[in-house]
This record gives sequence, structure tokens and C-alpha cells, in this order.
Amino acid sequence: MARTKHSDARSRRIGLIIVAACAVVAVPALVVLFAMAGKSSSPWFGQFDPDNHPAYNFSLTDQNGKTVRLQDLRGQAVLLAFGFTRCANICPTTLGNLAAAYRKLPPAAQERTKVVFISVDERDSPETLKEYIPFFNERFVGLTGPPADIGTTARAYGAFFRKADAVGSDRADYMIDHSTYTHLIDPDGNLRVLYRFEQLPETDKIADDVLRVLGTQAPGKRP
Amino acid sequence: MKRFLCLLLLSPAMIFAGDLKIEDAWIRAVPSSSKSTAAFMTLVNKTDKPVLVTAGTCPVAGDVRPMITTKQGDGVMGMAFVESFSVPAKGKRILEPGGDHIMLMQLKEVPKAGSTVPLVLTTESGGKQGRIHLEVPVR
Repeated sequence: MARTKHSDARSRRIGLIIVAACAVVAVPALVVLFAMAGKSSSPWFGQFDPDNHPAYNFSLTDQNGKTVRLQDLRGQAVLLAFGFTRCANICPTTLGNLAAAYRKLPPAAQERTKVVFISVDERDSPETLKEYIPFFNERFVGLTGPPADIGTTARAYGAFFRKADAVGSDRADYMIDHSTYTHLIDPDGNLRVLYRFEQLPETDKIADDVLRVLGTQAPGKRP
Repeated sequence: MKRFLCLLLLSPAMIFAGDLKIEDAWIRAVPSSSKSTAAFMTLVNKTDKPVLVTAGTCPVAGDVRPMITTKQGDGVMGMAFVESFSVPAKGKRILEPGGDHIMLMQLKEVPKAGSTVPLVLTTESGGKQGRIHLEVPVR
């Protein structure tokens, strides 16, 4: 294709402008990239707590009517979330994602992992939880208890909840606003990792974190 | 004649069904004790006017309404009813878990995973009402 001298000079000029623009953009971009790389150098997917903060030792009732204390779960990794069974969007999403993460664990790690769902709804009984929890996984634990115990437990984990609007004309059919963090507690009973609700779909990475707190991280996985 | 009358009655619905394209609709399978569940989908508006999704009907639910998820800071979330979902002109709106959804309440039977459930969405655009008939998979 024939090109005029004029257009050659013009494209050289454009080229120079592009090089200059790249330099102007590249230097801060590199700085930002290095900063981001520094941030993501943590091997943990969730927000890692390096200190040994003991997780609150709740004592509540599971879906089979049995008392479960956190200290009974020593030696296991615990994924702990708060919610309520009438929750139609957030809680099934949370539990569905935790079930998917759990399924990604090798059987030996599943044996050493408990997914615990604490109901913040006084309408939820062990019977309600028995109809609800096994749908996500037969091995998951749903907990309930007297409102005072639920309140103390929620506060200890920094969880918040309050009654919200009624679903229809029936005032007893209200919803509950609640915090949506999931805690990963290590086998020694320390708070180790915190997940935001938006992080939960990344079930591979949650499974990796669980393996890491269990000390059974498969070699060759995320360093 | 009868057929012609039927077509005449159906036509506004048909036109509006074309205005809003529904993609990847699904209803969440929930435990058998559940009183409500949610439908998710992408609402695509092909027209140059905003389209509202105002309500819906579903044979397994007593009440079908648009609902948003509220984020109140520090990880606290809740749900709130809204009058409608507005789908911008030539734009789309995604209804997804943890966000906007069509809430199916007062369940008469709990939709089973693997089945499909008929869902009719009521729409409004430029003062005209429409209906979109869907067969939504449960998963």
C-alpha cells in the first residue's frame, strides 16, 4: 500500500506521543501493581487474623437436640455463619457456597471440618433446623438456643441482627437483617480467617484456606 | 373469528414479552420447610424506553414481588420490597443471589431441584402493561 511522506511523519509523531503517554502511565501503574502484589502475597483468601484470638466458646443446641460447645470441636476447622431459616436469599447462598467448598475437601479433611450455622431467629427450633440444615449437607450443624445465649454469641463474634419488615400482612412473618460474615476457626479454637459474603462463591479458595488451617495443604497448591 | 379474538386479546402481552428478553432464569431449590424462595435472571431491555417489572404470579407461590438486598455496612444485609425493577432503555438488570431477586412467598409447595416452574412477570412500559410467561428451571 502506498503511503505518503506526510502520513509517515504523522504516524511517527503519534508513535512518540504513545511512547510518552505509556511512560507517564506505566510508572504509577507499576507502583500500584507492586503495592497490589504486596497485598495479595498473603496465602489466605479471607481476611487473616495472625493473632491467637480465642473464638467464643458458645454452648447451644443442634438440630438433633444435642448441646454443642465450640470446645467440643477442638481438632477441627470450623466455618461459622449466622442467619435464619426463613432467609430466602442470603442464607441459602451462604450455605450453598459453604457446601460447595466443603465438597471440594478431601474426605479426610471433611472429617476434620464442621460447618456451623447459628440461627439468630427465635422462631427457629431444633426441629426447624433439622428440616433446613441437611438440605445443604447432612454433616452441617445448625444451632439454636435461648435468645440471651444467641445474643451473647452473636456479639462475641461481632455479628449483628435485628427484626425487619414483615413479608406480608402477617406481622409474625418478619425478616431479619443480619451480618453476613463467615468465620474460619482453627483446630485450636482461634479465630483465623474472616470472609465477606461476596467472597463466598470462590469455594476453591475457601477450601484451600480450610486445608491450610488443618495443616494439610496439598503441595503445589497456592503457595 | 374466535382465533382472531384470541390473538387480539393476547397481542399486547406478546409485544411486551418481546420488549424484555429474559436470560438464564432459575429458581433456587430450598429446603422442604421453606416458606419462600427466589427467582434469578437477567432482564434485557431491547427498547428505547425503560421497562418496569412490577410483580408476578406463580402457581406454587401465594405472592410474587420484586425485592432488593440492602447492604447496611459492616457486612449487615437485609431484604426490602420495591415497587418495581426498572430495566434501563437498551440496557439490562441482573437478578442474582445476594442481590436483586423475584421473591416467591407463601409457597404452597416447595419447588424441587430438576423441575421447572411456570412464572409470569408483569411489566410496564410507557404506561402499558405486559406479561412475560416463563418456564423456570429449579436448581
